[in-house]
Amino acid sequence: MTAATLRRLIVVGLIALWEILPRAGLIPELFLPSLSSTLAAGWNEAGEYGHALAVTLYEVAISMAFACGGGILLGAIVGSLPRPRILIMPMVSSLYAVPLVILYPVFTVWLGIGSESKIAFASIYGFLPTMLATAAGIQTIDPQLLLAARSMGATLSQRLVRVIIPAAIPTVLSGLRVGGALVIVGVVVSEMLISSAGIGYLISRYRTILDSPHVFAGVLLVLAMAIAFNAAIKWIERKAAIWQTGTRAGQNAAEEITPTLQPAT
Amino acid sequence: MQPLANITPLKPAGAVEVRNVGQIFKTTTQDVVALEDVSLDVKPGRFVVLVGPSGCGKSTLLMMMAGLRQQTSGTITISGAPIPEPDPNRVGVVFQEASLFPWLTAEENVEFPLALRGVTKSDRRARAQDALKLVGLDGFGKRHPHELSGGMKQRVSIARGLVQDPPVLLMDEPFAALDEQTRMTMGDELLRIWAATGKTVVFVTHSLTEAVYLADEVIVMSPRPGRIVDHLQVSLPRPRTYEMLSGDTFGSLRDRIWRHIRKSA
Repeated sequence: MTAATLRRLIVVGLIALWEILPRAGLIPELFLPSLSSTLAAGWNEAGEYGHALAVTLYEVAISMAFACGGGILLGAIVGSLPRPRILIMPMVSSLYAVPLVILYPVFTVWLGIGSESKIAFASIYGFLPTMLATAAGIQTIDPQLLLAARSMGATLSQRLVRVIIPAAIPTVLSGLRVGGALVIVGVVVSEMLISSAGIGYLISRYRTILDSPHVFAGVLLVLAMAIAFNAAIKWIERKAAIWQTGTRAGQNAAEEITPTLQPAT
Repeated sequence: MQPLANITPLKPAGAVEVRNVGQIFKTTTQDVVALEDVSLDVKPGRFVVLVGPSGCGKSTLLMMMAGLRQQTSGTITISGAPIPEPDPNRVGVVFQEASLFPWLTAEENVEFPLALRGVTKSDRRARAQDALKLVGLDGFGKRHPHELSGGMKQRVSIARGLVQDPPVLLMDEPFAALDEQTRMTMGDELLRIWAATGKTVVFVTHSLTEAVYLADEVIVMSPRPGRIVDHLQVSLPRPRTYEMLSGDTFGSLRDRIWRHIRKSA
């Protein structure tokens, strides 16, 4: 059995358990409502969940644009210029270690409890890892590659487009993966804390009235959002970086073809 | 930019002239003299090797011949014209690490300098094929660098240096990262390519054996400040063979270089 089929079996098994255990009465419905009652709860309130999802997706989309766009832009500047790097990087790195959620109440004071405070909070939350990864990606480009490009007569803009950007893509993407996931976390958590709309708000509201099926319906939606985001990043990674196949595969390939190449090495 | 570089040179293509060249590196605390009063004449089609201990400035000298660095004093001309910036039509450069772009295939790497100049796709491909054939990599164009062995990567690198058919090929310790056997094979390969193309080659190495085995002339340099201390003619016949390594001529030439290097180390 391959690892992939095994993985699928585990997921199917967990889903089955989710249905069977509550139905058999082994777990109280309050702790874990069965999958079918969760789906039914969500379906019955489809309009409410649909509206909440729209609000959350809107906040996530705007925050994602700010976090990723700003993170990549600032990361590129900080990564390529030594002076801003010395000034900014230590601050950003230590800021990254602070649990920023403690600042969220302040954001609501400044921006109100609508979408603006969520967008501001989630943007900053996702911005930091994206920026750090981009700066690191630019900084760690092999200077030999840039020298080689220069020896072939590449201008500054040609070096940027043909060397720096492709070389930085894998690190930037790993930053986007973390940053994007944090944007989703930021939006949902801030909705759960202080707000009047969105999936996080629904989860929090249904929790206060101990309506577990409706809570889990919201949880499922957030889960689906995270999975969709992950799939999107994977798709981009496949498109953008063929060379991430890794050195191991490369070594194997080189070993395989060596005997066919004579008198090569 | 100097317009001189575009005028038909008075000297025959492939001549390298170094006249009273000095290089001073300015650091915050002091000025380091990397090269002092270096003069050198390489006739077209010759294979000249620069040897010397670390820090003797041999790589720096090569970078200046490539237009990647400007000398503090003196003049350097390639085919009779100064080289204020890299010009792959006049000088090809091969670096120690293969410095191939890992996200491009072998043939795309070879096409890179042509793509910078907007050569059409079909023209590029044809010239890359010719260059790959020359270095014995016919049929490997579609592989990525991680699918090639160290020796094959250096062949791609040499193909890239030759794709614009420059009269001069500069090589900065191209085989230093290779294992001993691969290194010997690549030396023979390089001599074959050199004989087939008639290029002027200036080759930097740490290996005395490699220097004597490959060269028409060996230039020995000493460090702090970098200076030429000896200029040997290697009278061994061509083609060079493995048996020559144990001959008297070979031994006495290598001893003479070693005595210079030991003195300055």
